[in-house]
Amino acid sequence: MLDKTTSKKYFLRDDEQEYAFLSDANAPKKNRYGNSIELIEETNKLAGKSLNINGDSSVSANPDRYKQHGFYFNADNCISCHACESACSEKNDLPPHLAYRAVGYVEGGSYPSYTRLNISMACNHCDDPVCLKGCPTRAYTKFAEYGAVLQDPDICFGCGYCTWVCPYNAPQLDMTKGHVHKCNMCVDRLEQGLKPACTSACLAGALDFGVTETTPENRQQLKTQIPGFPTPEITKPNIRFQQTNSLPNEMKRTDSVPLKYRRDGTAGEFEAELDTSKADTNKYWNLKKLLSSHENAHIIFTLTSQSVIGAFMLLMFGADIGLASLTNSFVNSFIPVMATLLIIFSIGMVKLNLHLGKPQRFYRGFNNWRLSPLSREIAGVTLFFMGFAGFALFAGLSQYGLFTTVELFSFNVLNVVTTISAAIAVLGGVVGLYYMIKLYLIPARPYWNHWQTATSFISTALVFGAVSIAVISSIATATLDSSLVSQTALVALAGLVLEGIGLLAHARDLKKHKGEGAVSHFEQTTRYGKSYWLRNGLLLINMIALAVIAVLGLNGLSGVLIGLVLFSSLVVSAVISRALFYVLVIPTTMPGAFFWRNKGFQEHARETGLAEMQQVGVLPGHH
Amino acid sequence: MLFGRNKKNPIKIADKGVVEWKYTTCGYCSTGCSIEVGLDDKGEAVASRGVGGADVNRGKLCLKGIFEHELFRSAGRGKTPLIRERRFDEFQETNWDTALDKVSGEITRIQEKYGRDSFAIVSTGQIMTEEFYTLGKLARGVIGTNNYDGNTTLCMSSAVSGYKRSFGSDGPPGCYEDFEHTDCLLAMGSNLPEQHPVIFWRLKEALEKRKFPVIVVDPRVTMLAQMADMHLAITPGTDVVLLNALAYVILDEGLEDRAYIDANTNGAKEFEELVAQYDPVTASRICGIDEDTIRNVARIYAKAGSAMTIWTMGINQSTHGSDGVVGINNLNLITGNIGKPGGTSLSITGQCNAMGTREWSSCSGLPGYRALEKPQDRKDIAEFWGVDEDFFPEKRGLFMTDIFPAIETGQIKGLWVIATNPMTSMTNTARIRKTLEKLDFLVVQDAYADVETNEYSHVYLPAAVWAEKEGCFTNTERRVNLISNVIEPFEDSKPDLWIFNEMAKRFEQGRKVKFPETASGVFDELRTLSKGRMLDYSGMSHEKIEAQRGIQWPCSDGDETGTQRLYTDGKFQYADGKAKLIPLPFIDNNEKPDEKYPFWLNSGRVVEHFHTRTRTGKVGNLNKFSPTPYMEMNPDAAKALGITHGGYARLTSRRGDAIVMVQLTQRVAPNAVFIPFHFHECVNRISLGLLDPHSRQPAFKQAAVKIEAANDQQVAAQTNAVSRTY
Repeated sequence: MLDKTTSKKYFLRDDEQEYAFLSDANAPKKNRYGNSIELIEETNKLAGKSLNINGDSSVSANPDRYKQHGFYFNADNCISCHACESACSEKNDLPPHLAYRAVGYVEGGSYPSYTRLNISMACNHCDDPVCLKGCPTRAYTKFAEYGAVLQDPDICFGCGYCTWVCPYNAPQLDMTKGHVHKCNMCVDRLEQGLKPACTSACLAGALDFGVTETTPENRQQLKTQIPGFPTPEITKPNIRFQQTNSLPNEMKRTDSVPLKYRRDGTAGEFEAELDTSKADTNKYWNLKKLLSSHENAHIIFTLTSQSVIGAFMLLMFGADIGLASLTNSFVNSFIPVMATLLIIFSIGMVKLNLHLGKPQRFYRGFNNWRLSPLSREIAGVTLFFMGFAGFALFAGLSQYGLFTTVELFSFNVLNVVTTISAAIAVLGGVVGLYYMIKLYLIPARPYWNHWQTATSFISTALVFGAVSIAVISSIATATLDSSLVSQTALVALAGLVLEGIGLLAHARDLKKHKGEGAVSHFEQTTRYGKSYWLRNGLLLINMIALAVIAVLGLNGLSGVLIGLVLFSSLVVSAVISRALFYVLVIPTTMPGAFFWRNKGFQEHARETGLAEMQQVGVLPGHH
Repeated sequence: MLFGRNKKNPIKIADKGVVEWKYTTCGYCSTGCSIEVGLDDKGEAVASRGVGGADVNRGKLCLKGIFEHELFRSAGRGKTPLIRERRFDEFQETNWDTALDKVSGEITRIQEKYGRDSFAIVSTGQIMTEEFYTLGKLARGVIGTNNYDGNTTLCMSSAVSGYKRSFGSDGPPGCYEDFEHTDCLLAMGSNLPEQHPVIFWRLKEALEKRKFPVIVVDPRVTMLAQMADMHLAITPGTDVVLLNALAYVILDEGLEDRAYIDANTNGAKEFEELVAQYDPVTASRICGIDEDTIRNVARIYAKAGSAMTIWTMGINQSTHGSDGVVGINNLNLITGNIGKPGGTSLSITGQCNAMGTREWSSCSGLPGYRALEKPQDRKDIAEFWGVDEDFFPEKRGLFMTDIFPAIETGQIKGLWVIATNPMTSMTNTARIRKTLEKLDFLVVQDAYADVETNEYSHVYLPAAVWAEKEGCFTNTERRVNLISNVIEPFEDSKPDLWIFNEMAKRFEQGRKVKFPETASGVFDELRTLSKGRMLDYSGMSHEKIEAQRGIQWPCSDGDETGTQRLYTDGKFQYADGKAKLIPLPFIDNNEKPDEKYPFWLNSGRVVEHFHTRTRTGKVGNLNKFSPTPYMEMNPDAAKALGITHGGYARLTSRRGDAIVMVQLTQRVAPNAVFIPFHFHECVNRISLGLLDPHSRQPAFKQAAVKIEAANDQQVAAQTNAVSRTY
């Protein structure tokens, strides 16, 4: 009945108003980060190409098409009417629990000299898009067109790593769909010369959009900081602010993150700091929350993979560093040790893979090996697994005397492939562990962004690498070898000491940290305070026990029992420790509102059952 | 610089597949935004957008409008009529004939047994003007009950009353374009960013072009108060005192427009005598605004080339609501600020068609601003409808807020509730429940079967909603705009016009009176009845309204378009053409905080919700911004009581108690709290609602409460959760 092609640009209006059109920009050559605003020359091979939006192969004549664009937010004017976020959600057909743009606020002063500062924030299409660099699947592209950072859900496998690295909470992991999606800068509108839907919908003269580093008409400032906004140094975001109205020296958040923003005097910028005025300062266990988080798969994967890599390294190099009995036990109980470690490792891998939104796309994990530490970690760990499995197979064959005489070019084939496998496993193990540490060193997640992450992971490798060999081998041989016991105890003790040093430094540095790190430490000692002290206590007791065992050894039935108790204690301590690692991280995201984008309310809605109604906008539970 | 792949994948952006846009007018508030609903190739409503060329909103919409297409098929819609013998029986599905026969039978039975006025009708501000007019014809001309009123008594009744007292007639004299001309804006108890975001945008646009002083009077630090040049954090319920004091300074310092007063007003002498009692010092002790500020505001306002006042519920929902409006009119009359560009008294109306019901529903009189009290008006309408003149009462009957007490005490036995939800919207929920229990017969006509009032009904009639029908709304600035039919009514729901017409056929008198079948047929009657009157519709037609994206009345036959302002010639609707300056003595009758109940309780609207959430509570992308009720409370006050941010508090008043989640903020005074009124079983469990003597509007915004932390937080959370059925 009607021409359906009209539906492709259904947002176009015949009577479009002036405010919706992009204005001519008189931008400088370079932005404040020293990067060129003109992203490519006209002669570049990327120029003149269609964006192929929804099958439309036309090329826009927008004269600023190859200039970096960005949002402009006049914080003096925002009234938190939600028109921007709603126009965005309407255009992008988003379900209630998701939003590409969100309005939160900070507030300060005393009645009636009270000030609320609303902040509307979406993707900042950064010069240095950490999402793009972090994404293992290469789902992200920074386009020469408008400098838009776009993400393709059809490529994404739903690991959510981009949501960890982005300081602004721009990428949205949609648990119901198993992939991430985010602000697309309304490039379809830009191609038509129109500002994005959010900007065109603004009812307060707060949101604007155009070529970056240009001050819109009637506006005075081009700031990159307002209270609540993370430091621009992390990603070099393409957002500029105006904030000229006087603010109280202390602005508080209304969401459950106990942070406030303070400035000393009237000149300086606001800095984040801990705000305990609205927070609960009692100490709790919160074990259920601790052990039922979305990150359980990570807890299992990191613990198991680090343990197995540690065990393998001890097998390979133990004898060289005076730990011959560990290597020997490994060799003596080769089949049971190898089989158990392989099973443990596989469980961790499977768990992690199943936690992906789209596990069937696991193979895409290496795609971004050039940029993503996560890709490299996946590559390393996968390599380790292959080498380790190969080593297990080939070395196992030679244990049974199979194929031991096959030669090629006068080399013993079995020996050669065994050695190659071992080399691959060592390389994969080192690379995997290194990038496993590296991928957590995220500036937007201060709790992780500390060398304690390294000491913790290496500690796990040492402690459980040694202990797993000893336990499996002792069970397999039904003996308690005294030198194995003492060497294991020594290695494990070294691991725990390493972890302890890391934790002490971590706590010290977090307390000194002004913003989210201090909040993490506060939560660590309050919300999870009892669990935290249990872990610390266990750590100390385990150290003492290991020191005693290293000297006295374990003998007889009592030795077995003591060993089992200690083993359980080590496991409990490690699990709590790793669970704390995941649950305590507080990202440098934007301030939320009282309900929307408030983690505290989301938890409350789940607990009370309010989340069961989809219109509450909180997903009832995690997958 | 560039990262990512060289060979790029095609970009996919959501495409709702809109093949056709249909013109209509937003059905939420009274801003009157023109909106287009997008239909996909299956004919389903999938998108909404503002109409660029419409003068009111110029392409913009607030969030409610942006998602308005979602309400057609939202949860809780009524599919078919429901019937039951007793209110505690299970509802049975039935057909329209059975349901309508039952209703008409019960109306007849109750009227025959207890008298004509023992059956009451409570209507709304939500349905179309043509439907209001038809309901009025049915209520006044066929059923013949004088206890017929609308829920506008809860929102705009004080404005109506104030306009009538000052100018001799209802009808807001100004328009949004006045922002472009004014030299001073006074906003009293009006929070545009939250309640009328698109009107706020019009104000903001005017301010971007040309700065003028904005003065906000509000006990809360709203976003409007925050952006104002001056914020007067007034003591609740004392607006009249402030207004009298402003008049005092103006008259005392000779800043008044004496020529305008002399030429166009009566009563100046009595007014001035009363005002003389409200010097700024005396006033400051009552209203909490210091004397310097009072003088400053008075001078700025009086000296401005043109100055305007806007107000909403902060004025209307008060025991001095009508007086507050009159006070604003007094201020504008003595400064000559009525009927000129940028000089006006502009009530910012709440409901999409509150104006339509004021003009045409016959709730407070007869259609077209006619009064029952005027014999000529009764005669004219009786002749036009073809009913006996004596069938009309000579005085209007009970207001909505008096109808419920009359049910409580047994004078009224049957009630027809149309598109309103008193169970949630009226004060003192416990009393309303007790009242509704007493009815012999309650029929609820609403688009939503889960509207809480339906709990007490005997018959439920499922109505079509918004653009499932067609007709007109009048907005705040008297602009009549068209709602064209966008999609078919849901399931077996019916347009209210059809329901009224079918009901009329079931009465002997209804078969004699002409009831046009279509909205445009009804509109022709409005044109005839309004010809030559202040609210002249005779120059309008549905087609012309759509073409012009709304027309402001008066628009007389032959006029190209409508009229922006009333009273530009200084001629008012009183017989002698003069406005009245009315003295306003202040009687302090509010329930004020005391030792037992130490907090002021204030209620109001939030931007994401409308009324009792029967619509917005089901649209996730609106509801998520406040899915459950909350209370703004000052952290200093909370600390002393051990109340925490995000925890639950128990509030008690002389009416009852309520449980609510606490949001600590310095936006409210240490002795005041604010709770949104949208939620069932919350603020109206404890509100008082003393009635204004003129408008009978309840003072929702002034009551005293006691606050304590809820004993058991988990029980409190559950108490709240079970009340959230949507």
